[in-house]
Amino acid sequence: MTKLRFHMTFPEERVKEPILYEISQKFRVVPNIRRADVSDRSGWVELELEGELPEIERTVQYLRQRGIHVDPLEKTILEG
Amino acid sequence: MSNPSASPRPFPEGQKFPSLMRGLKCRECGRIYDLDPVHVCDFCFGPLEVDYDYEAIGKVMSRATVAQGPNSLWRYKHLLPIAGEPTIGLHAGMTPLIRAERLGEVLGLKNLFIKNDTVNHPTLSFKDRVVSVAINRARELGFRTVACASTGNLANSVSAHAASAGMECYVFIPHDLEAGKVLGNLIYRPTVVSVRGNYDDVNRLCSEIGGEYPWAFVNINIRPYYAEGSKTMAFETAEQLGWKIPDQVVVPIASGSLLTKIWKGFQEFAQLGLVESHPGLRVNGAQAQGCSPVYQAFAAGRTQFVPVKPKTIAKSLAIGNPADGYYALDVIGKSRGQVEAASDPEIVAGMVLLAETEGIFAETAGGVTVACLKKLAEKGAIRPDELTVAYITGNGLKTMEALTGYLPEPVGIDPTLASFQKIVKPS
Repeated sequence: MTKLRFHMTFPEERVKEPILYEISQKFRVVPNIRRADVSDRSGWVELELEGELPEIERTVQYLRQRGIHVDPLEKTILEG
Repeated sequence: MSNPSASPRPFPEGQKFPSLMRGLKCRECGRIYDLDPVHVCDFCFGPLEVDYDYEAIGKVMSRATVAQGPNSLWRYKHLLPIAGEPTIGLHAGMTPLIRAERLGEVLGLKNLFIKNDTVNHPTLSFKDRVVSVAINRARELGFRTVACASTGNLANSVSAHAASAGMECYVFIPHDLEAGKVLGNLIYRPTVVSVRGNYDDVNRLCSEIGGEYPWAFVNINIRPYYAEGSKTMAFETAEQLGWKIPDQVVVPIASGSLLTKIWKGFQEFAQLGLVESHPGLRVNGAQAQGCSPVYQAFAAGRTQFVPVKPKTIAKSLAIGNPADGYYALDVIGKSRGQVEAASDPEIVAGMVLLAETEGIFAETAGGVTVACLKKLAEKGAIRPDELTVAYITGNGLKTMEALTGYLPEPVGIDPTLASFQKIVKPS
């Protein structure tokens, strides 16, 4: 099992959707939220996803397809 | 290429907790951690920052001790996160602070200064500050391998410092990076890893590698130490102004770390009594319009920003989801500063203006700073008499391609005096 940490940003049109519940039902991953700030216009969540690495990869892919911005916890690492 | 390796080496007895650093502290929940290569609070995932013992520092640091120090950023070593004496990057910092009379005249600013990091050592950008600190700390922590993910200045600086330290070095880049930028790193003989994927993929991979290998990844596990090097921009500014905090500063925003650390540097100097405190200091941010998450949040009056996909010629500022964006917005708000953004043509115009008035050839990030400085001056956010410092963070020789098509062609003449006089018409 692997644990990876992510920073996820939810656009306004996704804020009201129970997406984290959805991924825990759809994929064999355990989301563990540590920090979050959600308003009616946008929101971000910092969490750990625990599961097999390929399953975490599929979860991230799915979230991106749903319009969620998924970055590592460190956000942008690639600098100029 | 050899296998990744490191030998975590304990500090010599008595040096585990160097006296001037108390530990790492979570910026969110305040939990304290040992001075290890960690960057995130295990509990709340907040970023960690070095926690100093200012009382102890105040006993050993004064204007006199600084003046007796080396002509480099190491003259402020008591406020930098290393336990012993620096051994690498000994010439970084102490770049010129230039009174910019001609640029000031154009902008209507009578008291304008340029902090010129285009001539930083060894790789001509402000990254030499953060990297020299990071590499020294990495060595103290026992690392033999250093790494970064970068398309430009950071990679140059990490590769150069690693070479001079004799450390193994890995640089991660996107596979479609321009050949010229790759060559600029290869000269230092790091292992350059070209990742088949987009910027997001490189990011993800580096985060995973950062957790997998015992390497000093400068802007991941060493980040709390690395970021502290940026404070020296403020320390030098204050000292070069005659131990004074300016009224206004204009700072380019990429990750947002430089801006927050310049603020912190001035606060530390004031706390130690090295300068008079200046509650009126305004910290202003400068972004490229093509990558302006902090500007957009500021303009909308939000305290949170939305990540963006960068599309700008200012590649060194192209950070779509800045790690310290929230904290940069906080500093700008607290100091009643502002954020401006510059379009690509405005960036080039800024580069040209700086070059033709002050003789400084800055990279695109410098164009962003000058363009935003101009906007702030034009709208009266900076008043003509205010003591203002603009931070120029990298050398123009690194981003020559950005100028293609923007500058006039040379005047062509035949090799005769007549041709010269007829076509050039010298005054």
